[in-house]
Amino acid sequence: MEERNWHDKYYKIMLLIPIVIILFSLVYVTINYQQTGDFFKKDISLTGGTSVTLYDKISATQVEKDLSGKLSNLNSREIYDLGTNEQKALIIETTTDWNETQQVLEDYVGYPIVEGQNADVQFTGSVLSESFYSQLLIAILVAFAFMAVVVFIIFRNLVPSGAVIISAFADILMTLVVIDLTGIKMSTAGIVAILMLIGYSVDTDILLTTRVLKRDEDSLNTRILGALKTGLTMTLTSFFAILAALFIVQSFSIVLAQIFTILVIGLFFDMVNTWITNVSLLKWYVEHKEHKVHREAGE
Amino acid sequence: MKLGFKIWLLIIALVFSLVFIFGLPPKFLDSGVVVTSIGQNSTLFDQGLKQGQTINSVDGKSISNLQEYTAALSGKFITGVETKLILGTSNGEYTYYGNETPDLTVADIPKTNIKLGLDLAGGARALIKAENKSLSQSELSDLVSITQNRLNAFGLTDLKVSPVSDLAGNNYMLIEIAGATPKDLRDLISKQGKFEAKIGNLTVFEGGARDIASVGRDAQSARIEGCSPSSSGYTCTFAFDIVLSGAAAQRSADATANLTSDPSNQGYLSEKLDLFLDDNPVDSLAISEGLKGRVTTQIQISGSGSGNTQDEALIDAKAQMKKLQTILMTGSLPYKLEIVKLDTISPLLGEEFVKYILLAGLVAILSVAIILFVRYKRWKASLALLLTTVSEVVIILGISAFINWNLDLPSIAGILATIGTGVDDLVVLMDETGSKLTLNIKQKLKRAFTIILGAYFTTLVSLLPLMWAGAGLLKGFAITTIIGISVGVFITRPAFGELLKRFRKEE
Repeated sequence: MEERNWHDKYYKIMLLIPIVIILFSLVYVTINYQQTGDFFKKDISLTGGTSVTLYDKISATQVEKDLSGKLSNLNSREIYDLGTNEQKALIIETTTDWNETQQVLEDYVGYPIVEGQNADVQFTGSVLSESFYSQLLIAILVAFAFMAVVVFIIFRNLVPSGAVIISAFADILMTLVVIDLTGIKMSTAGIVAILMLIGYSVDTDILLTTRVLKRDEDSLNTRILGALKTGLTMTLTSFFAILAALFIVQSFSIVLAQIFTILVIGLFFDMVNTWITNVSLLKWYVEHKEHKVHREAGE
Repeated sequence: MKLGFKIWLLIIALVFSLVFIFGLPPKFLDSGVVVTSIGQNSTLFDQGLKQGQTINSVDGKSISNLQEYTAALSGKFITGVETKLILGTSNGEYTYYGNETPDLTVADIPKTNIKLGLDLAGGARALIKAENKSLSQSELSDLVSITQNRLNAFGLTDLKVSPVSDLAGNNYMLIEIAGATPKDLRDLISKQGKFEAKIGNLTVFEGGARDIASVGRDAQSARIEGCSPSSSGYTCTFAFDIVLSGAAAQRSADATANLTSDPSNQGYLSEKLDLFLDDNPVDSLAISEGLKGRVTTQIQISGSGSGNTQDEALIDAKAQMKKLQTILMTGSLPYKLEIVKLDTISPLLGEEFVKYILLAGLVAILSVAIILFVRYKRWKASLALLLTTVSEVVIILGISAFINWNLDLPSIAGILATIGTGVDDLVVLMDETGSKLTLNIKQKLKRAFTIILGAYFTTLVSLLPLMWAGAGLLKGFAITTIIGISVGVFITRPAFGELLKRFRKEE
């Protein structure tokens, strides 16, 4: 019998780390849902409303002070040119519809606002965005279910497949909670990022499970360690590539910035969930099975 | 050295992709400007000049780009002076006479066949549904064709109107207009455009082909009558001729037959011809006594535009006239419509987007490169890995150009996602083939592909719902990712495996 290293001793206890985070996340999401009726904060692409990019040098704080009584849930910020550091535009977000927002803003700035000329507009009706929102939630659920089915087909084994699925679920859950804690409002693009996350997080779990279950050379620990080395290279390349890209895009595209932020957070939790949650569950399963085999063989 | 089937496949895919992206001969070698839109009542249009043709000379002098084209035309046309213009294209020369710049927009020839979506290239996109009514497929396709007609008649040609439906079974009309957002876009696409001409309470004719045989739009039959100062700036009046159908003319004749003379307005009848647009009065025309009970098909329609300065009023009057002409020609839309989503993006912003995205992609690939060199310290294999990743992107772009897919922001996000999973798979290949086991390389590759295929199918199925959810507005993400991971699994990663096999043999 080989010597038990620290991982052999403590891997079951290590499961407490993800379990505590998962429990906290579930409580957080439940309370959040009871209080707001939603799993996360939504931006106007999911609640309905108007986002106007006004190409003018107007102070965001002033606008918020002057117009918050007229435009509901008003939010605004200034956009600067990276090179000259001069204000390029003012972005105003409100849940008021575009026709009314236009009226209010025109009265305020004193000139006609023409979309495509001195302003860009993104308007989504509230009925449409509600329908988008529910469809995208369904899309995530269906995507997750499809993924689970494929994982079952690949491994044809309940416990290891379950471990992969639990890890992917924990990954998404933890990411959503952190997103909400940082105050980011989810957009349709953010939901796309969650879908992306399903793909990314399952990659390393499949690598791990394949190496552990479908190989018979080396010891269990060596196989896990090998998978860890490969898997961490995979996740870290993605992590740093996306972090670098996030640094570039954050100044010009809110859409891409949100996708990348969610991915960076998700990839971090992917490391936790693959190399703690999934590894521990899988190791437990394999050792339990080997133990049983040994016992049946009368050793 | 023999290259082997898998590497040849990658090379062929790359060559085809480059041809799809740049065209053959490559587009960036062309000189001239490309026609992006042309007014359908322009004489150049009648001669056969079409959207998409390349203009390479103006008045016999060759031009190579937009700047030279603009320079050649600037100051050429002076109001009131008839001037001749010859535009040379590969299909021959087109001659234009007129006193103002031809109704034609051009742009620099795009250097590639890659088409950018509206959120990157600039433009407007609107999602429209009928107010308080859910449209059936056939009602929707009628609405789409009427709207297409109306926008074309208005002079917009670089646009796409299409029916879309989503997972919840809602049907929408999606309008996408490239380039600058037209003024009055909202009115044009969502107002019903119900035009009525009434005498008293009787409607004598309406907009549309049933009552209106033709609408004058050339310089003789449509004009600005004059401008004058008004209480709030300036007002300019316009007028244009229309020809009524026989039935509509008869109805007008019947309506005027019983009218009496207007005692307060000598020479005219007691009732006026009132024009309404969407139930708002546009103008009220006095009818001369001579027309009483007579069947006349020629009628003059007039109206006005206003503004703070005379120029503004003139522009407004021209726009009002164009709108009215469009509505008279195409008739009213069959439903009251509602814009449920509207996005406009200035073209200027789009150019910057592309620059930043390329930069972001470059930085991402560089950071991948650094990590890989640090981890493997094998220059040849790491370099091959990077080249494989780059060729994946090239092939995705090639296929997008081939299937005419417009790359929008979700599509770009999809390409980035592919780079990420692509690198993941290549790392799996590196590590599996690098393992110290006594298996031969073929068995090692087979093991790697078991993992890669598993990951491929999970990603593939998790993207499928996105093809339909949210009226397909996020479809781009699913499309580029599916293309990317499929190209990866079936073309680039096998080739990379083959390369690794060769490197192993050399070592």
